[in-house]
Amino acid sequence: MPLQIDVFLLILRLLFIVLLYLFLMQVVIAITRDLRRSKDSTPVPTTLGHLVVIHSGPSAIPPGTSYPLMPRTTIGRGPTNTIQIKDQTVSAEHTHLWYQNGTWYVQDAGSANGTFVNEQPAREPLPAKVGDVIRVGYIRFQIKP
Amino acid sequence: MASTASRTGQGSQPALVGQKTSHYRWKELGLLIIPFMILLLEMFQLILVTNADPQSTLTAKNLPTIQSLIPALGLIAALLGTNIFLSVFYRKADQMLLPLVGLLSGLSVLMSTRLGPDLNPPDPALGSRQLLWVLLGLVICMITIVALRNMAWLERYKYSIALLGVVLVGITLVHSLHANLNSPTHDQLNIGPLNFQPSELLKICIVIFFAAYLSENLNMVARGNLQLGNLRLPPLRQLIPLLLMLMLALIIFLGVRELGLALLIYGIYVCMLYLGSGRITYVLGSLILFIAFGFIGYLLFGYVRARFAVVTTNVVNWNAQSQALYDAPGGSYQVVQGLIALASGGILGAGFGLGHPAGQFFVPVVQSDMIFTALGEEFGLVGLFAIIGIYLFIIYRGYRIAMDATTHFNQLLAAGLTSIFALQTLIIAAGNMNFLPLTGIPLPFLSYGGSSMIGNYIIIGILLRISYNTAREREGLV
Repeated sequence: MPLQIDVFLLILRLLFIVLLYLFLMQVVIAITRDLRRSKDSTPVPTTLGHLVVIHSGPSAIPPGTSYPLMPRTTIGRGPTNTIQIKDQTVSAEHTHLWYQNGTWYVQDAGSANGTFVNEQPAREPLPAKVGDVIRVGYIRFQIKP
Repeated sequence: MASTASRTGQGSQPALVGQKTSHYRWKELGLLIIPFMILLLEMFQLILVTNADPQSTLTAKNLPTIQSLIPALGLIAALLGTNIFLSVFYRKADQMLLPLVGLLSGLSVLMSTRLGPDLNPPDPALGSRQLLWVLLGLVICMITIVALRNMAWLERYKYSIALLGVVLVGITLVHSLHANLNSPTHDQLNIGPLNFQPSELLKICIVIFFAAYLSENLNMVARGNLQLGNLRLPPLRQLIPLLLMLMLALIIFLGVRELGLALLIYGIYVCMLYLGSGRITYVLGSLILFIAFGFIGYLLFGYVRARFAVVTTNVVNWNAQSQALYDAPGGSYQVVQGLIALASGGILGAGFGLGHPAGQFFVPVVQSDMIFTALGEEFGLVGLFAIIGIYLFIIYRGYRIAMDATTHFNQLLAAGLTSIFALQTLIIAAGNMNFLPLTGIPLPFLSYGGSSMIGNYIIIGILLRISYNTAREREGLV
């Protein structure tokens, strides 16, 4: 049966809209798959250890407060830190802590009052293990499992 | 972007990008298949419409030849080439941005090809010029990815970049003093046959400067030493470079009557201030200031009043006042014609190549400022929803890249660039539909224009680079 061009054009137009929405659906599926994969994948939600306050210095944090440690943890006063400590002696970005090859590393992030591992200044990344005392400004933490 | 509830350990830890063990960017290639089909289909339809008589029957003779499909094939080849290049060198970069952006660029080339011959005066080479701009944009995107090996370089030279932005605007200002302020091209530089809009690069320079400055001075900005009753204000001394940059940009743009750009710069300033400090009081304060300045501007300047009068035009109850505004030069003619075009499109659209967006008595400047109405007329409401959906996915991806980023500067830069992209789309789409006063900002990727295309491809290049760096750093740790 001979097909008129204007009918053919109508088919093409509808096909275009169908393809557009198929593409959008494909993107949505890719996004949800991505989100589900990142939700299920370890080790991001696991806590690899804890930082326990052993001496609160001038801050109002009670000793014994425990903060969970992620593979990458930042400590500071600003809202973008993993552990946010709202104390004036703590800088906006104070300390970086990360876990690599079985050891914790601690480095000062350019803070005003400094970061110390067992009273050693952490200008370069310093290794730290469970039981070491980390001083952030004037607050002392201890790494616990 | 990161948790504030540190005690419970809950909060939004940035999610892993995902362990990629495949050796090719299959997801991107899979997402590119449907855009390729769409581009071929539309090119086919365009040639069929322009060459064949609708009442005749479909025979093998009427079908377009392979040769005439070359623009679409060229685009497909370019996108495939980009995919292969990224797979070889930058496999871990984000895989969703290129298909989305490629589809939009392809649609823009097709739209320019379609609109070119119908314009008044006719410009049959519009499509091939737009194709050149898209190809150039893809190349510059790749160059941006390769060149930004160390993002900290941008951070270190922030004052030079800010100076570059100021110089660009200065050139535009000097040029516009010679030009007629009512012409639509008064903020462009003409180098030979090409038009270059420095404001596109200026946007990027401003975002880089703000991101670098804020990430360095998070300390000061988040603290907020001054106190006004219950409000905490940022220490003004720290904010002075930001405010200077802002004032400079605003004064210049208001001087050259580019209201859209002034709005965009102010919007990006507010966004980045909030992203950098996390304090909503800054945002509210800036908005109040903006409304105050806007009111003063409205009272002082006639052209501001004219733009707002157009927005309040009542199209449904057409009276003598509306007609007078319609006929007046610089009045509501362009916007009303755009609304008529949108209405003629209806839900399914007139069909690609089958509507009347361009021409002497239709929509003026339809290929760049009012491209949204042309798309609405030909693709209909469903097509517009799909296009807005594509923009939303690009913006989602940009913010996702920002959330995953590992350094503060990368986070702020990605979020800032995405915000400026989103604001620009919002302002021009709302302007086309008469929600906001119409401005001269181009719709990213879809409107005809070289500088806009290249500027937006640079943004995509920076986002891809940030996502690549993030994926590399996370793999290095895990």
